[in-house]
Amino acid sequence: MLSLRSITKRYGALTALDQVSLEIGPGEFFGLLGPNGAGKSTLMSLVSGLRSPDAGRVAVDGAPVSPADAASRVAIGLVPQSIALYQELSAEQNLRIFGELYGLRGALLRERIAEGLAAVQLTERRREPVKHYSGGMQRRLNLIAALLHRPKLLLCDEPTVGVDPQSRNAIFDYLTALNRAGLTIIYSTHYMEEATRLCPRIAVIDHGRIHALGTLDELLTRLPFEEEIGFPATADTAPLAAQLADAGTVLTADGRHRFQPRPDFRLSAFYQRAESLGLPPRLFTAARPTLEAVFLHLTGRNLRE
Amino acid sequence: MRAVVTLVRKDLANFLRNRASVSLTFLVPIALIYIFGWVFGLNQKDTGPVGIGLGLVDASGNPAAQKLVDALRADPAFRLITTVDQPGGTPRPLTEADLRPMIHDGRFRFAVVLPKDLIRTDSIGLHLQILSDPRNEIETQMVNGLLQKAIFSNVPELLGQSLQYRAKQYLGEERFQRFNRGIAETVTTAFGGDTTKVQHEIESGGLGLREVTSANPPAPRPADPSLRRIDTPAPAAAPAPGNAVVKPGGEDFFKRLVKIDQEQVVGKDVRSPLATRLVGGWAIMFLLFAVSGASAAFFDEQNAGLFQRLLSAPVTRAQLLWSRFLYGVILGLIQLTALFIAGRVLYGIDVFGHISNLLIVCTFAAAACASFGMFIAAVTPNAQAASGLSTFLVMVMSATGGAWYPMSLMPEFMQRIGKFTVVYWSMEGFAQVLWAGSSLAGLLPILGVLAGITIGVMAISIWRLNRKAIFE
Repeated sequence: MLSLRSITKRYGALTALDQVSLEIGPGEFFGLLGPNGAGKSTLMSLVSGLRSPDAGRVAVDGAPVSPADAASRVAIGLVPQSIALYQELSAEQNLRIFGELYGLRGALLRERIAEGLAAVQLTERRREPVKHYSGGMQRRLNLIAALLHRPKLLLCDEPTVGVDPQSRNAIFDYLTALNRAGLTIIYSTHYMEEATRLCPRIAVIDHGRIHALGTLDELLTRLPFEEEIGFPATADTAPLAAQLADAGTVLTADGRHRFQPRPDFRLSAFYQRAESLGLPPRLFTAARPTLEAVFLHLTGRNLRE
Repeated sequence: MRAVVTLVRKDLANFLRNRASVSLTFLVPIALIYIFGWVFGLNQKDTGPVGIGLGLVDASGNPAAQKLVDALRADPAFRLITTVDQPGGTPRPLTEADLRPMIHDGRFRFAVVLPKDLIRTDSIGLHLQILSDPRNEIETQMVNGLLQKAIFSNVPELLGQSLQYRAKQYLGEERFQRFNRGIAETVTTAFGGDTTKVQHEIESGGLGLREVTSANPPAPRPADPSLRRIDTPAPAAAPAPGNAVVKPGGEDFFKRLVKIDQEQVVGKDVRSPLATRLVGGWAIMFLLFAVSGASAAFFDEQNAGLFQRLLSAPVTRAQLLWSRFLYGVILGLIQLTALFIAGRVLYGIDVFGHISNLLIVCTFAAAACASFGMFIAAVTPNAQAASGLSTFLVMVMSATGGAWYPMSLMPEFMQRIGKFTVVYWSMEGFAQVLWAGSSLAGLLPILGVLAGITIGVMAISIWRLNRKAIFE
């Protein structure tokens, strides 16, 4: 469906994307995970034909995509990061404008608008100006506006920024249903929970390069440990955290330590040290590592940096 | 109190960070004051009109009339036009028949004819003709004043000729010659000189004193302190007894001697002259403000990410830019139409009598203004800067283009600058339609200039917008 070959994009001295290659098959729900400034939006803009790469080739269904070729963008739908809607106009008016730009007219356009509004529960408020909608409602409309022309490939650039949990779940459910119906989706986010929940295959991107690519399980195998141990960060546990520095990595956040052991370190040794310091076993929880750990391991920095 | 101080400091910091606000507050007003100073003549010593085109036809064949022609030529208020280019390019002298069409076409707005009967035969005095297109009332009043001043100050010899002519008719040839001879002898007896030359001068309309004074120039007399230039303030003086107001009678006397036929060549059938004169300038100024506001919407779309959405559809940048331009033209056309209809309803301006040509000029003017809006969006980084620059440019163009003040009263270089503005050419177009009732063919030069402005400004704007990251 989508093929990126050795894509490079620079903004002056900054290399936003560096030799990025990617193949995404039809019907995939593909995650693009990286912190702000990693190059996700640049990649999205190249795939949607808003910009041209300085080097490399972008193709959808084998056809090159470029800003100069307007027709090449018909197969693509873009959900921008910002709420790209005319605030003074109603939902219906917005959708009519965007639908007409894709060549939809008459009964077909009316039908698509009605379907879209119903899918995101906005039918009853379709004639109100968008500026009167809640953030979540605007986000849902933002999504629908990219789907009227029934694209083969949907690009979602952080589509849930600033959305309440209820609306986020509604968007997730809708996207999942669309994907099940055969739509190929590329979903860019810096929330590992979203990538984990939605995307069977994920690319970890940072500083314009793809550091890892695969399913969640495949990515987790890149880690040198299978489990990490969490415990509270208190004065009692501080000596243990200090002792563990030679046995692996200790991360501290939100009042908790997370110990990620080196491959040669046995967990039995961990518990022996804890016992010798008088710390009861109930303080410790073993957990499967997350994508965040993978990201940290691969890039040396946190997703939220 | 501490909170108030902190909040004020916050406002100041915000303000100083915003270069557009700082320049709007300080630099733009100072620049405007300086430019308006030139427009309204505050920077000049002589604030009179400059370079007003004045057609002149001397059909009198009278050598004494040359003095009046020379005086008009020497007056900086006028740019004397006495010839017209023939099809081959060689100029020929203007004739009276040329004047009316040329005034109608806007080549110049005033003309003086010194007719064959410059020296009146029915009574003592002169006969002149002034043709005008009083498109601008202030300018017309000033020009009439200047022309009358020039005529009254340079006609003594012509009046003398008129007197001689009437005396000859009244006395008969022989007694007339004897009369002149008698005066010449009296003059030469009193002041010396050659009697024949003095008589000849008297017969040419002079008083015979030129021949005398050229030989024995009189010593200058001390100025009469009661006389002063009319443009200098009167010295404080004791009120006249009984506060009597003394009216100068000289002007009326001269007006009886010099018969000036005034002919309004253009606009004499206009029903609401004052409103028709003003409506074009105001309309184009409001239009410029409207399209400038529309240019700010460009930045709103950019900030909302709408360009991303639009350009991810099968839409090109060129389509986006031209649609914005077309929107500006439509908006401008609707606004101008509404303003002119309001002018019809409120002031009785004859809009519907010229509706087709008016709509054509409105379309070209709206296109030129829309290109101006695109230019603002192209050269400014954000909506605030666009608002500041457009306010500045609209005011400058309105002032220099003649929307507020007659251009002929501005210095020449300001007049030249004014002719590069959309305001000037749009106003010319409206005036040619509503005031002069021009045909479409007569409007073509103005429409050509407006189209040229549109094409030139749009080319620069599209080039700049394509280089800008506004779409990314």
